[in-house]
Amino acid sequence: MGTTASQLPKEMLSEYQELTFLTKQEILLAHKRFMELLAKEDRSSRSTRVPMDKILTMPELKSNPFRKRICNVFSTSELKDGSLTFEDFLDLLSAFSDSATLEIKSHYAFRIFDFDDDGTLDSGDLENLVNCLTGETDDTRLTPEEMRQLISNILEESDIDKDGTVNLSEFQHVISRSPDFVSSFKIVL
Amino acid sequence: MATRGSGNFMRLVSDDSNASTLTEDFGNHQEELPSTLPGEQEQLPSTLPGEQEQLPSALPGEQEQLPSTLPGEQEQLPSALSGEQEQLPSTLPGEQEQLPSTLPGEQEQLPSALPGCHRGLEEELYFSRKWDPNLPLKNLPLSMQEKRKTREQRQQSRHIIDCCESWRRSQQHMRKRLREQVARVIWGLQPWSKTMHKIEGKFGVGVKSYFTFLRYLIYLNLLHCLFIGGLALAPALLFRDKNKPSGLTANESRGALDLLLGTGFVEHSPVFYGFYTPVSIPHGGLCLNTPLLFLAGMAAVLMLSAVMELRRTVIGYKHTWLLGNRYNLHMCYKVFCGWDFCIQDPNSARLKHRLIRNDIRLELQEESFHQRVSQRTFRQRLQLYFLRGILNFLVLTLLAGSFSLIYFATHISNKEKEGWILPLLYEYLPSISITVVNVLLPHLFRRIAAFEDYSLTWQVNITLVRSIFLKLATLGMFLLFLHQKDLTFVKTNQPPEPPAKLNSSKNCWENEFGKEMYKLVVFDFLAGGLNAVLLEYPRKLLVEKYPSCSLVKAIGKQSFLIPFHVLDLVYSQTVTWVGLFYSPLLVHISVIKLLLVFYIKKFVLFHCCVPAQRSFRGSQSSVLFHFTLLLGLLIAVVTLSFNVTMRTSSQDCGPFVNYSSIFNMTSSCVGTLPSPVQRTIHYFTSEAFALPLILAEIVVLTSFVSQGRANRKAIERLKEMLIMCSADKRYLVKKHSAWLRTLKSSVSAGTCEDARPTALKDPSGFQPLLLRSVSTP
Repeated sequence: MGTTASQLPKEMLSEYQELTFLTKQEILLAHKRFMELLAKEDRSSRSTRVPMDKILTMPELKSNPFRKRICNVFSTSELKDGSLTFEDFLDLLSAFSDSATLEIKSHYAFRIFDFDDDGTLDSGDLENLVNCLTGETDDTRLTPEEMRQLISNILEESDIDKDGTVNLSEFQHVISRSPDFVSSFKIVL
Repeated sequence: MATRGSGNFMRLVSDDSNASTLTEDFGNHQEELPSTLPGEQEQLPSTLPGEQEQLPSALPGEQEQLPSTLPGEQEQLPSALSGEQEQLPSTLPGEQEQLPSTLPGEQEQLPSALPGCHRGLEEELYFSRKWDPNLPLKNLPLSMQEKRKTREQRQQSRHIIDCCESWRRSQQHMRKRLREQVARVIWGLQPWSKTMHKIEGKFGVGVKSYFTFLRYLIYLNLLHCLFIGGLALAPALLFRDKNKPSGLTANESRGALDLLLGTGFVEHSPVFYGFYTPVSIPHGGLCLNTPLLFLAGMAAVLMLSAVMELRRTVIGYKHTWLLGNRYNLHMCYKVFCGWDFCIQDPNSARLKHRLIRNDIRLELQEESFHQRVSQRTFRQRLQLYFLRGILNFLVLTLLAGSFSLIYFATHISNKEKEGWILPLLYEYLPSISITVVNVLLPHLFRRIAAFEDYSLTWQVNITLVRSIFLKLATLGMFLLFLHQKDLTFVKTNQPPEPPAKLNSSKNCWENEFGKEMYKLVVFDFLAGGLNAVLLEYPRKLLVEKYPSCSLVKAIGKQSFLIPFHVLDLVYSQTVTWVGLFYSPLLVHISVIKLLLVFYIKKFVLFHCCVPAQRSFRGSQSSVLFHFTLLLGLLIAVVTLSFNVTMRTSSQDCGPFVNYSSIFNMTSSCVGTLPSPVQRTIHYFTSEAFALPLILAEIVVLTSFVSQGRANRKAIERLKEMLIMCSADKRYLVKKHSAWLRTLKSSVSAGTCEDARPTALKDPSGFQPLLLRSVSTP
């Protein structure tokens, strides 16, 4: 606010420390990286949004098949265009940080995987998810038969209440038994 | 895990408690749909409280499906009506006018009503949901603005708290923050976090787990170093009687050879058992002497590693076995936890895509493989079993062959040879043969397993099990042969005048034993280093230089086979533990060795390896790593206790020269204690104490087992309950929609004079949708 464009005021810094899982250094690094994405004249205002295209050029996200979903989930934009403010960006990094809890991580993972934002993972979401995992092009995709078998297997394993979809608590139930998840659901600058 | 499960259940319950607010939304939405449903509102709240979880799925589903089905409805209508056209030319236009007016009206209404409802739901779920006020703000899955709002709400509610309470809370907060800070600082102190990060980014979590394991071993050995240094080395150095010879005579020095063989000056250094002499520490009483401290150091190290290993294994075990095995979740893991978000390199990402695809295909193939297995004919099965029998026999022969090789190597290495290189070769013969066997056979096992027609995962597992067995058994055999050799040696050389050719150091079998272990450690390291420099690096150069040559292509770049590398680590750690007692500074050597191994492996990984084709699950593997390490520790402890109890300690060297066996020392120490203490100790070591102890342990174990069973039953029951709940929900939704349909039809029957066009009267075209969206599998 009062300070120079590329500096974070101290009180903001401590507030961010309170509200996220990030350390001081991580926040400062995040700030630096975020400012690099912004044009010079935009750097003064805190609520400037960086469009999704620009965010996706970051090497940490560039190779991630879920990059667009990640931006959409963490964006607070009214337009639903996936643009991020600095605070959204911090939210993102906090959820993906080393010290975030399993609860937080699984929650956001669920929202990322929930492609149609309807609160459950149905077979359409699962198909999208598997396509993201195996690669988007036609020759890398699974055959429809394989896909059908896979989705029925997934639902059979995780759909505890047998309603044909995976809801948040079922998802967290699965995730909580996979200790790998915390170590792999991570994006560190 | 039981508490975790109940926690999840509680979350479900608390979600349900939000339902009251949600039903209002649903009620509003219902109100908007048919304007003439008076009984609707009363009925809804009673049916819907259980609905809440279903709603997010049901409503947007409806939202999506409505526009798509309504045109269909409209298309259907003319065809249904076409037969009527002659009869009712006057009514139809009116009818058709009515239709577009009602249905598109709904169409317009719904999207406007539903997003509001949906957003309301989301806010209900994610935002104004009653979060646990003690949960730190950062633990809430909310955006920054919402967290601020929550904080304000919390602060308002906090006004009521008196100052004492607030002081207490702030103190709590401070302490927590301090703890976090300290933990973070310690975390930051961990070496190689940058390297680990890079490995993770390039090769995935699996390979990283190897390096974390390596780092863990370094920590473990550093800790051992502290204990050994403090309890064995420092007293021995401090209170050493400078004038008294250590009972060993010096050999001629052979320089570097001594360093490799553990002879000469190395033999008289603190590396080996012979260096430590019994000295009672001044002002320490009768009990406090170096032998006791030595023993205490060894016991502490072994106990410590046992505890640490057990802890690690149990943690992992809890995750994989207890839950993972009983509920089959392969596919879910592969899909939900499949992507490694750490990956930054586009090439690795492409590779990961391929890996996941192959993995999924593999899993699906495995499923069909099991189907194929069940369809095998009797003849085929017989053939297969015959083949497997032969192959297993082959494996056993290989094992037996390797054991006999080690046996001969152990015996031949005994012979004295002249010159520089020959004795080195002979001395190292057992180590060389063990290493060669350990390097070659696992690859052979891998090939053999491919013929046995097992499923692919089973192939990997069986190779691993065989390799583990090989590693630990060769070491065990070597120890056994060594023991036999020493026995025969002692027998032939016990007579009063030892032959002049033999060094006096031969009388100290402990030193000899320590030396063997020392050689194993050194050679293992040398083999690893040479392998990297002479095999892996040239191979990589070759592959890069002649990428088109077919032979080179067949060799290819190696992939980092994590299990085998881990087995190497386990083996070297086991050797360290076995040799610990007879060569106390082996742990220090081990630390240096592991440090170097870290850099060598890092070099090999980054320069000579391509990422593996099959993924390796980190957590699963770490259990396996620690379990094998535990097995290694078991071997070490068995060997040590065998040596300590069955063999008399030599009279010329070591801290226990004055005692015929090591336990005599402790008993003579106990003898000096005051009598009540003595009696207590006697009681604790007697059978009178052991029996009740065992009984108590049985009782505790039984209670734990039954508790575990009860928990398992509770889990089953909760699952059943969940299924019932959801079935209830679906039933109620079905009921509700059926009821809605009858209501609608009666309404439209009221409005239209003509009761016949039933096709029209199903304008509740959205009504089965509600059903469909919920019950489609």
